[in-house]
Amino acid sequence: MTFLIDSVRSAILLVFALDPELVNIVAVSLKVSGSSTIVAALLGVPLGFLIAFERFKAKRMVITVLNTLLAVPTVVVGLFVYTFISRRGILGAFDLLYTQKAMIIGQVILVLPLVTALTIAAVSRIDDRYRKTAMTLGANRLQTGWVVFREARFGVVSAVIAAFGRVIAEVGVVMMLGGNARGFTRTMTTAMALEYDKGEFTLAVALGIILLALSFGLNILFNLFQGRSRI
Amino acid sequence: MLYEISQLKQIYGSRTVLDIHLLEIQAGGVYALLGPNGAGKTTLLKILAFLETPSQGTIRYGAETVHFTESRLQLLRKTVVLAEQNPILFTASVFKNLEFGLKVRKVPKPNRQAIIEGALDLVGMRAFIHAPAHRLSGGETQRVALARALVVSPRVLLCDEPTASVDAEHQAAIVRILRNINLEKKITVILSTHDRFHAQTLAHHTLYLNEGILTGESEENIFRAESGILQDGSVLLTVGGVLRLPLPSDRIPSAGPLRIAIDSEKILLVKDGSGIFATVRQVGDAKDKIRAVVDAGLPIVLMLSRKTYRDQAPMVGDRVGLAFPPESIRVL
Repeated sequence: MTFLIDSVRSAILLVFALDPELVNIVAVSLKVSGSSTIVAALLGVPLGFLIAFERFKAKRMVITVLNTLLAVPTVVVGLFVYTFISRRGILGAFDLLYTQKAMIIGQVILVLPLVTALTIAAVSRIDDRYRKTAMTLGANRLQTGWVVFREARFGVVSAVIAAFGRVIAEVGVVMMLGGNARGFTRTMTTAMALEYDKGEFTLAVALGIILLALSFGLNILFNLFQGRSRI
Repeated sequence: MLYEISQLKQIYGSRTVLDIHLLEIQAGGVYALLGPNGAGKTTLLKILAFLETPSQGTIRYGAETVHFTESRLQLLRKTVVLAEQNPILFTASVFKNLEFGLKVRKVPKPNRQAIIEGALDLVGMRAFIHAPAHRLSGGETQRVALARALVVSPRVLLCDEPTASVDAEHQAAIVRILRNINLEKKITVILSTHDRFHAQTLAHHTLYLNEGILTGESEENIFRAESGILQDGSVLLTVGGVLRLPLPSDRIPSAGPLRIAIDSEKILLVKDGSGIFATVRQVGDAKDKIRAVVDAGLPIVLMLSRKTYRDQAPMVGDRVGLAFPPESIRVL
């Protein structure tokens, strides 16, 4: 028990002292996860919206495949991307392995099905009367789509926040594709795994506290946004 | 002529929900569409609103024969608005809800405020202009939805059961609004309703839909019946299991189940102790007629001339005799 309290105390000191190594790890984590979330959102939100809004034959099949992809373990994604970007892979010439770009690619692939599936769920939940109302008021297809999207905005923001939560907390992809290089590709989760291996818990606990604080902050932000948007 | 519909069918799977041989709607009129649940009223309104494409048939709208391509329908929808039975307002202010139709029509921003205020004045909701739409009551929502439809100055306003889900105060207001916009703005109004009273007080024309078929302008009393051939060759109709009506044999194609309509204006009140006995349940004013509902084991509506009403004076609770001349019964 004393050990835990000591770890937490040291961790809090580390956080408030803005330890350079800690700051660097957090910055890399935020940069990589933020970038991958933005890319995944830019691809997944329109894709999810189109799948939910349009009527086409293989719709059910597409949704089933997406739901299946939600369960893919991070190490499988890591391995999959590794085969492409390793020196022997078809993208080997780009020298991406153990770079932040590789980590972003891996995280985008990991989280794209999640953003898409949650966007589909958010848009599908929207009452069909919104679509019909927009149409009868003379809206074209694009304007009708915008009305539906606007009504689904809280669900879509939830999807993006869930995606960020998934990538910031995952360890498999960043470890396999980033390599946990100090000051370069070391993220909060890979650093925590390393510190655990070394038996050094102070930095790991400090990073754990930051991770939880980030998640808490994001939820507060989302609730504020939701409250203000509903007038 | 505003709409001219011929040989129109709407088929969902194996079910024909609409089968209209001919329907003509004049510009500037108020049309009430009456009929039981599932009669096809909403489907017809959606087709008239160009939101649904019929399976078969042709529609002439104004001077053009409607081609059911999305781009064409979208243009036509700019002149016709459907206000749904349970309207939904966008999650925004009342102002933004009304502004949507104007934005779509590219009405310049500086002009929008005055147009929106005018539409809200029509429905008595101007005080709510900046209110969040999702906080309005059911009746207020219905009125704002009506204003949202009117703000775009449509040629035709289609209303699906506009008074069904609001209280009496809002019902009266909605009826008044519909009458005013028809009179003042010359907007053609087509509304579906269950309420014959509203239909009669508001509409110039009443259309009756039953199982997707237009059955005439004033028919009530639609029943399932069983026909049987008697020994003398005449036919006995058993209506709803309680009412037995003899008919000449040439009126029924064959024995078995069928649907009949009894013309409420052709049923006779008899005083000589003959006929089928019934108890008067309701008597009310219906424009130039008196509408009585009697209980003969099943509710039957009679439309009496004012003279018959004065002569016979059926009072609520009275036992009366009914006679059903063969011409009052029509096989559907």
